[in-house]
Parts: sequence; C-alpha cells; structure tokens
Amino acid sequence: MFKITHYRDKCIGCNACVEVAPDRWRISKKDGKCTLVGAKEKKGIYHVDLPEHEMEENIQAANNCPVKIILINGRKP
Amino acid sequence: MKKVEKHDIEIMAPAGSYESLMAAIKGGANSVYFGIEQLNMRAKSSNNFTIEDLRKIAEICNENGLKSYITLNTILYDHDMNLMRSVVDAAKDSGISAIIAADHSVMNYARKIGFPIHISTQANISNIETVEFYSAYADVMVMARELSLMQVADITREIKKREITGPSGELVRVEVFAHGALCMAVSGKCYLSLHSDFSSANRGACVQNCRREYTVKDEQGNELKIDNEYIMSAADLCTIDFMDKVVEAGVSVFKIEGRGRAADYVYTTTKCYRDAGDAILVGTYGQEKFEDWKADLEKVYNRGFWDGYYLGRKMGEWSDAHGSKATTRKIFLGRGVKYFNNIQVGEFAMETHSLDKGDEIMITGPTTGIVKLTVGEMRVDNSVVDQVKKGDNFSLKLDETIRPSDKLYKIVSA
Repeated sequence: MFKITHYRDKCIGCNACVEVAPDRWRISKKDGKCTLVGAKEKKGIYHVDLPEHEMEENIQAANNCPVKIILINGRKP
Repeated sequence: MKKVEKHDIEIMAPAGSYESLMAAIKGGANSVYFGIEQLNMRAKSSNNFTIEDLRKIAEICNENGLKSYITLNTILYDHDMNLMRSVVDAAKDSGISAIIAADHSVMNYARKIGFPIHISTQANISNIETVEFYSAYADVMVMARELSLMQVADITREIKKREITGPSGELVRVEVFAHGALCMAVSGKCYLSLHSDFSSANRGACVQNCRREYTVKDEQGNELKIDNEYIMSAADLCTIDFMDKVVEAGVSVFKIEGRGRAADYVYTTTKCYRDAGDAILVGTYGQEKFEDWKADLEKVYNRGFWDGYYLGRKMGEWSDAHGSKATTRKIFLGRGVKYFNNIQVGEFAMETHSLDKGDEIMITGPTTGIVKLTVGEMRVDNSVVDQVKKGDNFSLKLDETIRPSDKLYKIVSA
C-alpha cells in the first residue's frame, strides 16, 4: 500500500494528472479543480491509501503536477 | 500634438493582494487589474483572490474612484466552463467594472450577460481587422506587446477613421503595456515551461525557464563563449521617457505589469507613471524629470530596462542577472502594534535587526497599503532613543494610521 495526499485548494485544473492516471484523477466540472477519486477529506486536504499496482502512474501524476500539490507517502516525488 | 484630456491617460496598476491594491490607490492609479481562483496568468505565482473577495475589491475601488478589472485570460478547457461562468457572474454581481479575456468562451458568455469585456494581450491583437472583429465584444483592447508604436498609431488612426465602436457605442480604446516584465515569447505564448516541467505558462504556471543562465555547447561538447549567460531573459519594459509618444500614438490605457510583485513595486511604478501622465497633461513632461523617475523605478524590482518593441530601435535587450537589479532592498524589522489617533503616533514591535534615526522605512499592510518615511524621533518607554533593536516596542510620529496587520521594513541600498 502507499498513500496519496492532495492539497486540492491549490489545484489550477490543468488536467496533467488525469492524462497519466485517469482512473484515480478526475476534473470536477463544478469548480474546475481535480478530484482524487476515493479520497477522504481532512481539513481541506485529501488522502487515500492505494495498492502498489497504482503507484507508477500516480508518481507520474505527482511529477506532472505543475503546482506540486500531490504527495506520495508524504513526499514530493 | 492634439490636446490631451485627463481621460486620455488611464494608469492601470496590478493588484495581486490587498497590500498591492491599496498601494496602487496611494500611487494614483485610475484602475487596477487582478486575478481570482485559477484561471488567470498568475495562477501559480501570486496569491490570488477568491470569488469571496470580489465584493470587497469592488467596494474599495468604488470608494476610491478606481475601475476594477478581473483577469480571466488563460487557455480554457471544457472542464473550466462552469467555473468561468461562476467567475463572470460573480464579477458582474459584485460590481467589478470589466473582465479581461483572451478565450472566446469568456467573451461569448460575458457578452450574453451584458458584462463589459477587455481583450487581453494574450489575444495578440496586431492589426485593425482584428480590432474590428473584437469590437463586437469589447470597448478596450490590449495590443500585442510586440507592435511598434508606429503600428499602434496606425491602428488607433483607423479606429477613428472607420469609427469602430465597442458595445458601449464609444470608439474602441487602445491599451498597451507601459512597464514591467517582458516575455521572450510572443505575448506570453510560450511552451518552454510545459516542456521542461509540465507546467503550462498558458495556465498561469510558468516556471520561468527564460530567466535562467544557460551554457551553449555544440554537438562535440565544445562550449561557446557568450557575453551573457541569460540568453533568453528579456530586460523589463520601461516607457517613462517616451510616454508622450505613446499618448501621441493614440493609446489611452497604460498597463503596469506585476501582479506577482510586492506593494512597494506597485506604489512606485504607479506613482511614476501617474506623475508622468500628469506632466503630459499640464505640459511639463520633459528630459529633466526622466532621471528622477528612472532612479525611483530602479529602486524596486526590475531586470534592467529597455524600450520594448515600441521604438523599433533595439531588438532583444537581455537582462544580465538572475532576479532583480533593484538599487534598494527591504529588510523586515517587525510589525505594527497600535495607532494612537489623538497624538498621531504609531507603535511598532521590533522582531529582528535594528533601526536608527534617519533610516528610510516602509510600512505595508492589507488596509494600510504602503507608507514610506524617514525615521524621526523614536521613543521606547516614553524616552527618546536614536536606535531600537530586536525585542523593543517603539513609537513614532506618523500622519497615517497603522495597524497590527502591517509589516515594518527598512529600505537600504542593494
């Protein structure tokens, strides 16, 4: 298992994470920001634990994020 | 030159924060522009306002007789449409004066709901036919930054000749960038940042690759000797010493770049251009004032200055340093504590460094904006002192109110 953390309020809605991990990331049509599918919110920050086989594409998503708001196991990749 | 009227010179200042907004007002701006949420060209680099701030911004601007323009000028995708519509609706409901747009979806929607539109420089307007096309939507248009003044003058002449009017029925007004950072790409249409960092400049997330030092090597690894490693970092635009020519070219709105800049930059640049504009109006604009204005402009963030493309004299003037070449810098000292209105005295808490009588200081804050002065008499525990240090609470005679939200800085030579 590994953990993804998403500081959603700083998202600029560029779609870069969706391009590489479309099963886990989805742009909200409501506010144009990205939503981490299956995550739980705590004080405006979103968290989800995921199986290892999703790791590679989500590391790519974190790498692609221009505003670096996606953390893998608490760290910027 | 025809007589210039007051409304012919609108100084438009950047407001990336409440501090900068108040600084723009103190500097004498006629209007401000700002971004909210993520759909503007400073989505990453400046602390953008949110939809909730719109009403307060409009109120502050109305009270001070300024127009307020909201920028919504990134590339937009289908998933941005709801947010775009919410922003335009909220801006109109809040009493913001107009929206600065580059994408046709914004123009289309704003026109539908009857909200005034300005065409952003991101639309790269470079000819009269494009002006005519956009006149169905907008009363004010920002020209591409790459035009020469001669080209701008041709456009404004044709606007009058053809009587090209915007939705208000008035002749279309032409706006240009008067001061601030220039981009090495055509009016910001750059993909370097996306290539290197997946960070699109056109979504407001430029990582500023062009501001870095580069080495140039051939395929065999031989490094070429170059005069300036900052091979792509354009120097800043400055029109203060030919602003009369810009007015003569029919430009009526002078935009100062810098939504990511601090309040002191906004105040100083706005004040210099306000003074220059006023000097043109009363006929005192001339060589003898240029040095003072330039010296003031050099005190705040800059990468060195050039004429941009307006005069067609020099192509590609590059900065030779990383970051600012400002001749002064500010040192954080502490914060405001209280203002004693009856005796016009401000109290401050020193958190670091020291401050001497005769030093230049600056106080900035979201309500105060900016106050600059030379330190006169200081008191600690009611005794007059010549120096205060970290840990001291001291008082100072001040004409303007200061607040606990204010920060105190010392201005020193860079």
